[in-house]
Amino acid sequence: MARIVGGFGISHTPSMGMAYDKGMAEGWAPNWRLWYEGTRPVRDWLERIRPDRLMVIYNDHLNHFDFSAYPTFALGVSDLFPQADEGWGHRPFPDLPGDSRLALHLTEKLVRGGFDLTVCQDLAVDHGIYSWFPYLMSAPWSVPIVPLAVNMVRQPIPTSQRLRDLGRAIGDAIRAMPGDERVVVVATGGMSHQISGARFGIANEGLDRWFLKHLKDDAAMLIDTPQEEFMRLGGTEASELAIWFAMRAALSDRIREVYSYYTFPAITGCGVVVYEEPEAMA
Amino acid sequence: MTNSIPFTLDPPGTYVYTAEAALRGHRLTAFGLSLRRPANREAFLADEEGYMQARGLDQASIAMVRARDWTGLIRAGGHLQSMLKVAATVGQDLWHIGAHNADLTREELIALCPRKVNAIPGGKD
Repeated sequence: MARIVGGFGISHTPSMGMAYDKGMAEGWAPNWRLWYEGTRPVRDWLERIRPDRLMVIYNDHLNHFDFSAYPTFALGVSDLFPQADEGWGHRPFPDLPGDSRLALHLTEKLVRGGFDLTVCQDLAVDHGIYSWFPYLMSAPWSVPIVPLAVNMVRQPIPTSQRLRDLGRAIGDAIRAMPGDERVVVVATGGMSHQISGARFGIANEGLDRWFLKHLKDDAAMLIDTPQEEFMRLGGTEASELAIWFAMRAALSDRIREVYSYYTFPAITGCGVVVYEEPEAMA
Repeated sequence: MTNSIPFTLDPPGTYVYTAEAALRGHRLTAFGLSLRRPANREAFLADEEGYMQARGLDQASIAMVRARDWTGLIRAGGHLQSMLKVAATVGQDLWHIGAHNADLTREELIALCPRKVNAIPGGKD
């Protein structure tokens, strides 16, 4: 059977992607160099742990979907996911490879298990994945992904409890997949930020570090914290942290934290935490 | 120029994107999202008013786009992610939108950020 060898949570922002392109071309701005260097150990960990697949739980920002139909949960079932044009053209990266076999297996298990997914045979992926991806992987991309998009752009968003349950179901489904693939589960969103209203630019490092500290062993406490509290104290888009509960719940309670990093480059708290399952290197 | 940030989710500090906002701003948001296509960006830049009329926007919305009234557009239900595409198409960015929302100049807002606060759930605000 396939197995989950680890997981990580990571922030995303359009500026993270733009900073990468600029940084690699003309040298890094000091605030973004910190993030670049802070993510190097995650890249090294991925090289050591050699995942065959990445299961990525993320949120779209009205770049593939629009409000004619906005799914709460949408799974990408394809062998190729193109980069979305967010309104200012594409970044110089190839499309992302997918794995429709694993995605179909997940569709079967999740829908029959009570999660009524929207199944997307075409899915353009935005900065929710593309902004951090080049920090951790080298193009041409060699590890296929299975993307699952969660509505975070209009209320009501799914509850933290529902995201935890979804994560558990994802974990069970991957572990029931025939084959021997090594899978890393990724959640991306948050951390503290708000990009509209007079509270634009709110930065709550204490909240973000509190979240990173407690996700491994006290996720239940974080999940029981009302999402409105994250929004009130960390900005409306801090609600995206709920996505991380799905990643945590897909993993076992035997994980160890191998790395964590945090910085606040501009208007979004940028954090990452990496967990590894026992015997992941076997 | 103040950097105090209230821990509330009320306007004008925060515009939570509710289902009602989505309904109110459906055409406006759809217009902004149409600019995900390069050909539409060109058509819009060539004739802003005509492009918006063809998309069924009312005169009040058209006037707000023409005035780059980002706060008015968000109040009218234009989703930030959609209005950001309008801003980018006309050569502005997220900082222009945020500054308009915060009633600051873009330079003032950049100088204020990150606007540090310190509170965790269950603690004192």
